[in-house]
Amino acid sequence: MIEVDIHALVGAYVLDAVDDLERVAFERHLVDCAACRIEADELRETATRLADGAWSVPPPRLRTEVLTAIGRTRQLPPGEPSRRERDPRAAVSRWRRLTVGAAAAAVLAAGAGAASWAVQEQRVRDESALAAAAEQRQARTQEILTAPDLVVRTSPMIGGGRVTVAYSKSQDSSVVSVRADASPGANRAFQLWTIRGTAAAVNQGVLAPGAQSGVEIVKGLPDNDVFAVSLEPAGGSLVPSDIRAQVELV
Amino acid sequence: MTERGSARRPDRLSAVPDPAPPEAPDAGALLREVAKGDEAAFGRLYDLVAPRVYGLIRRVLRDPAQAEEVAQEVLVEVWRTAARFDSSRGSATSWVFTIAHRRAVDRVRSEQSAADRTVRVGAASMDTPYDEVVDEVAGRLERQQVRHCLDALTELQRQAVTLAYYQGHSYREVADLLETPLPTVKTRMRDGLIRLRDCLGVEVAA
Repeated sequence: MIEVDIHALVGAYVLDAVDDLERVAFERHLVDCAACRIEADELRETATRLADGAWSVPPPRLRTEVLTAIGRTRQLPPGEPSRRERDPRAAVSRWRRLTVGAAAAAVLAAGAGAASWAVQEQRVRDESALAAAAEQRQARTQEILTAPDLVVRTSPMIGGGRVTVAYSKSQDSSVVSVRADASPGANRAFQLWTIRGTAAAVNQGVLAPGAQSGVEIVKGLPDNDVFAVSLEPAGGSLVPSDIRAQVELV
Repeated sequence: MTERGSARRPDRLSAVPDPAPPEAPDAGALLREVAKGDEAAFGRLYDLVAPRVYGLIRRVLRDPAQAEEVAQEVLVEVWRTAARFDSSRGSATSWVFTIAHRRAVDRVRSEQSAADRTVRVGAASMDTPYDEVVDEVAGRLERQQVRHCLDALTELQRQAVTLAYYQGHSYREVADLLETPLPTVKTRMRDGLIRLRDCLGVEVAA
């Protein structure tokens, strides 16, 4: 397991050039570092000045459509107004709420795209079922990624790449991202496992053959579990044969 | 409406407001009124920010139809979440453009995911040489203070920042495009923005 210098991501973070789990990890980091928050706020403010250079006349109907749409859109109440000033956690979680919905959609799109899981492939033909499932997964991913007790762990993969696990005890679930630098080859696949103590590894899903990245929700991860990714023949194995990464969740 | 002529748009169009300076004093005040459900204030805020919201999204997505769709989502989101704006974290315009940029990038990423990932980033980038894009972007920055400040960056800083912001590339993709190690790209994005910040005199009033 590696502890990267997370603050080095501040530039990429404000440019929206990080992935969803990095974003969550970075926002966690901001909670505990007031100076980092100030730098992030200033660089975000700076980055948005780049929008000045992209000025363009919108079609006039956009105004009509937007004004019509707001007429039937309920506004959210202020978020935790009493805590916001004093508790930086509230402020950070509020920013996170604003952004994580769309972020979760991107996570899911990654999962439902070319990095599809074998189990999903069976449903691919039914577009509407897939969309409904994606929506459900999005809601669930958002729920997990916004949990107040979220912990993010990452580990490099043998052969290049990394595995990131964002887990919440209160949600009893994790969002797992596998990102290998190279495809395992057409006849091989990455498989996900949880390992508790000395018990046998439990299969948590297999990536599509040849897929080098994927995102999955894994249910029920007690504190002392190890999460592992192994390289297997296409379709997966009953026990892990070639473990490429292990992420300890304690 | 294809917006095809917008790159050669005249300096000013009288029918729409001028691009407001980003520190426009009333965007924050308008947003506070919007938070109370004031639709007229929202109309004024729309006029103030919509050209940059739409322009930014179009810059990132390229496709005017998609840009219009995402811009509508963003502007309705501004209305919906106005009460969540926190002026101690930054300006109102920055808050709006943060939402806009994030949505645009999310759209880019989801489309990339939907496309065949076997096409590597490096290969995909052949379709739009980044030099061309950066030049085009630079060309649109006329009359803008930000352009002068971008010129003050090193080449690598400027490319790292603009490829991420205007093209919606992740820092990994930027590293691939620039054939530069990941840690270097992360560092250039950060110190490039720090130099921009100092050049623009950006402050966040707590």
